[in-house]
Amino acid sequence: MLNSPQTASPLLAARQLGKTVKTGTEQLTILHDIEFSLPAGESLAIIGTSGSGKSTLLALLAGIDQPSHGDVQLDGQSLAALDEDGRARLRGQLAGFVFQSFQLLPDFTALENVLVPLELHGVADATARATHWLERVGLGARLDHTPRQLSGGEQQRVALARAFAGAPRIVFADEPTGSLDTATGAHIADLMFELNAAAGTTLVLVTHDPKLAARCSWQLQLQGGHQIALHPNTAPDGWPA
Amino acid sequence: MRRLALRFLRRDLAASDFRLLLIALVIAVAAMTAVGLLADRVKRGLTGQANWLLAADAALISDHPIPRAYLPGNGQAGLLVAETATFPSMVRSGEQMRLAAIKAASSDYPLRGKLETSLGVVHAPQAGQAYIDRRIAEQWQLKAGDALKVGSKTLTVAAIIVREPDAVIDFSSLQPRVIINAVDLPATGLIGPGSRVNYRLLVAGAEADVARWKDGIHSRLQRGERLEDAQESRPEVKKSLAKAEQFLQLAGLLAALLAGVAILLAARRFVQRHYDSVALLRTLGASRRQMQQLLLGELLALVLLASIAGGLLGWLGQEALAYSLRYWLESSGNERLPAGTPWPWLWASAYALLLLAGTAGPQLLALTRTPPLRVLRRELQPGLRLGAQWLLAAGATLLLLWLAVRDVKLALLTGGGLLLAMLASGAGGWLLIHLLLKLPFAHWRLALRPLARQPGLAMVQLGALTIGLTGLCLLTITRNDLLDGWQARVPANAPNHFAINIQPDQVATLTQLFRAQGASAPVFQPMIRGRWMAHNGQPVNPAAYPDDRAQRLAEREFNLSWGDALRADNRLIAGRMPAAGERGWTVEAGLAKTLNIRLGDTLVFDIAGSSVSAPVIALREVNWDSFRANFFVTGSQAMLADQPASMITSFYLPAEQRPLLREIANSMPNVTVLDVGQLLAEVRRILLIATQALQLVLGFCLAAGLTVLAAALELNASERSREAALLRALGATQGRLRRLWLTEQSLLGAASGLTAGLLASGTGWALGRYALELPVGFNLWLPGVTLLAGALLATGVSQWRLQRLARSSPGELLRN
Repeated sequence: MLNSPQTASPLLAARQLGKTVKTGTEQLTILHDIEFSLPAGESLAIIGTSGSGKSTLLALLAGIDQPSHGDVQLDGQSLAALDEDGRARLRGQLAGFVFQSFQLLPDFTALENVLVPLELHGVADATARATHWLERVGLGARLDHTPRQLSGGEQQRVALARAFAGAPRIVFADEPTGSLDTATGAHIADLMFELNAAAGTTLVLVTHDPKLAARCSWQLQLQGGHQIALHPNTAPDGWPA
Repeated sequence: MRRLALRFLRRDLAASDFRLLLIALVIAVAAMTAVGLLADRVKRGLTGQANWLLAADAALISDHPIPRAYLPGNGQAGLLVAETATFPSMVRSGEQMRLAAIKAASSDYPLRGKLETSLGVVHAPQAGQAYIDRRIAEQWQLKAGDALKVGSKTLTVAAIIVREPDAVIDFSSLQPRVIINAVDLPATGLIGPGSRVNYRLLVAGAEADVARWKDGIHSRLQRGERLEDAQESRPEVKKSLAKAEQFLQLAGLLAALLAGVAILLAARRFVQRHYDSVALLRTLGASRRQMQQLLLGELLALVLLASIAGGLLGWLGQEALAYSLRYWLESSGNERLPAGTPWPWLWASAYALLLLAGTAGPQLLALTRTPPLRVLRRELQPGLRLGAQWLLAAGATLLLLWLAVRDVKLALLTGGGLLLAMLASGAGGWLLIHLLLKLPFAHWRLALRPLARQPGLAMVQLGALTIGLTGLCLLTITRNDLLDGWQARVPANAPNHFAINIQPDQVATLTQLFRAQGASAPVFQPMIRGRWMAHNGQPVNPAAYPDDRAQRLAEREFNLSWGDALRADNRLIAGRMPAAGERGWTVEAGLAKTLNIRLGDTLVFDIAGSSVSAPVIALREVNWDSFRANFFVTGSQAMLADQPASMITSFYLPAEQRPLLREIANSMPNVTVLDVGQLLAEVRRILLIATQALQLVLGFCLAAGLTVLAAALELNASERSREAALLRALGATQGRLRRLWLTEQSLLGAASGLTAGLLASGTGWALGRYALELPVGFNLWLPGVTLLAGALLATGVSQWRLQRLARSSPGELLRN
């Protein structure tokens, strides 16, 4: 068995997690028996080549897709025991999201986009909090701009503000720099790790960028849907572990 | 959550699909409010006009003096009351005598409508005075101030009657009218035991008060007493009124249904645009219930907005129309249209909600099932059973149609026309595009490829365009063919006079009189009085019929006629007309239904003391609107030709040939000529009001049709945008793009136009032929015109809408 970040009470845990889909008449297994535990405050990079099952795993861990077998425990709650609405409620309470394609509402301003999860869950000082987080990501002057008026990097910063404004305990990020050029991607990565560290949030990051993966405390490597490695990061090239 | 919902609403209000939804709903509410309000007001106004024909809002009619107990009592002080007594009697002027129909009226008569005389509009004459019919004045050369003796009382002629409100066609009182004041009645000495007098207690006032009075006495009515109100008093007016209302409702609903197509399309775009938002909200923790609340709240707000704006627009529209119609309404004796009630608006809003639920409900419900996983896999979207959506839309359409016209046949026919348009345009258009693709024109192939690639979308576009155009064309037909057909039912030269009591040997003389005047000779029909005695061997018992009308029909003496040929304004619906020498009755279908008479039943009539028995061999439908003399029951020639008969005829006499009436009166005093021009004018006026009202509805239908076009373009705007970006990136010039789209849209428009023209002509023909029973032909020129119009409209609207896309830079397009 591979090393695993075992703790007494992990925030996120996968148990025998697998996903099989039907393609025509055949069953295709795209994830096999993923098994790990991630303590709160840690960061986990899921790495692998295209088609290795990274995004599928992230979707299962966040409860936005359902496994064919196995289970995910999020903050001690079994996702398999919850229905779709139950999983949504749990996501609303615990999770923030950053996507490769930003997933901002195109007609909403930057401020309104950050307000969406806050107002959805009835947060009292939503506007003040959203403004604070947008200032924090350097967009204090762009509150009323819609995604169309923002660059890709700026849009991803809005997405970061949205992910962290709800004070989540865990952030799921799917290729957060995948749509950005190298320099902008690096800035976004810096910002994400900085916010993550400051908020003490647990981070699950899907990436194919080894450098980005190396900035996480743990790495889980997938190949053809199999978990081939799970190990803690050392601090290569001077990056903090 | 509420703030989030408001935020979504505010942002959606800026989105073109949501605006199209709003516009379509506003049009639907406006059209239905306007039509509903107008129909309601005109109906109540026309009921007022019909009341005018009764000279009251309701009347108690009796063959004996009216018991005082029936007079409105305490608490009904608001009601106006008048009384009349009508009976035939001889009147004298010097040595000349003739039979007249005397009406003794109390001073307040008439309560509704106008009694027009040579003095102007007046009430009943003062004591000692009389108003006389033009015929008596013409025959005896009487003028105001001359003396006229009625029974033992000598009265002074005060005025000549021009128009009398309640001059009903009543064959027992066809004599020329003399109106006297009721206080002079005892002095005439004409009324005694056994006198045949028709007593009327006329009542008018607020609708509720009149209804209460009627309810109060209804159960106390004795034999020989009956209540009548405007709806019952004139079947011709009632029928025209009902038809006018149905016609308007149908036209209003067409606008709403066209708007429904736009809603269906705009809702699809709305749903497509919201997949990502819903998936994101679900990912961020929104429950399905929260999503349902969010969407439902937004849609209710949409309906509320549409209800307010549409209600206002509809109210303004019908108010403007009522203003433009004031001349017609005033000239027919009504002061002004009664005020509207909020009910039509509330109904229209409820209909709009139903329309939205029916056309967009399943799509919107499916939207809330968007899987959150879509945030990672954009190809995921909830299963949307379009077939179920179309079925539900069709069901809602039929329900709405039925609610509007309360006539299953008409609802099914109109709904069928629309459904057929959808299916035929989808399949036919698709076939046409495939044929065009096989032609050796590379430019066409390239232009039509987007349509060929997405057959579903192409069919929706074709369907939308075709339905929009079909609606517009149906209205073209409605306005031109159906209305012409309808008006043709009451032609301008419809008979305006009836002459009765003509002796068979006077027919030749009368014909000559007409010819001498340059008028065409009328057709004479024999008329025989007969009492219905037995039905299938059982004596006729009027009291055995459950409803009043059947009782009255069974009780009264029938006017029978004879002849073996079916008349032009009759239609055979069962059996056959009698063969030469055959004995048998033919019965009008409506009467047969009321009196439960079936084909093959044996009827016995007592004619001049002898019993005539024969089977019913035919049931006929009669076009009463023709205003020609028609009979509920006719017998075969072999059976009735030898019976004593007088002749009846109807004819059109223009004003300049009126002297002919005096000649008839002088040379044939026994012949009675009745002027029904007034009644005709009433029916024609109702038609005119309906025609005018239709102009307003047409405006709404046009707006709805254009919204459908815009919604169809909106539906594939993003696909087109992506395609434009790629083509521009691959080197296509703006001109090339424009030409491609021009070709694509003009071919699409032409295909839709052709289909729409064919369907509209067919539906219009079917509607006229089977539902409205109007002689409307298949319009042959229409498909050619709609082919061109479809191509022009589609290219026009699309070029305007797509111009922006063609001009945009590829980078900008790709970024969006």
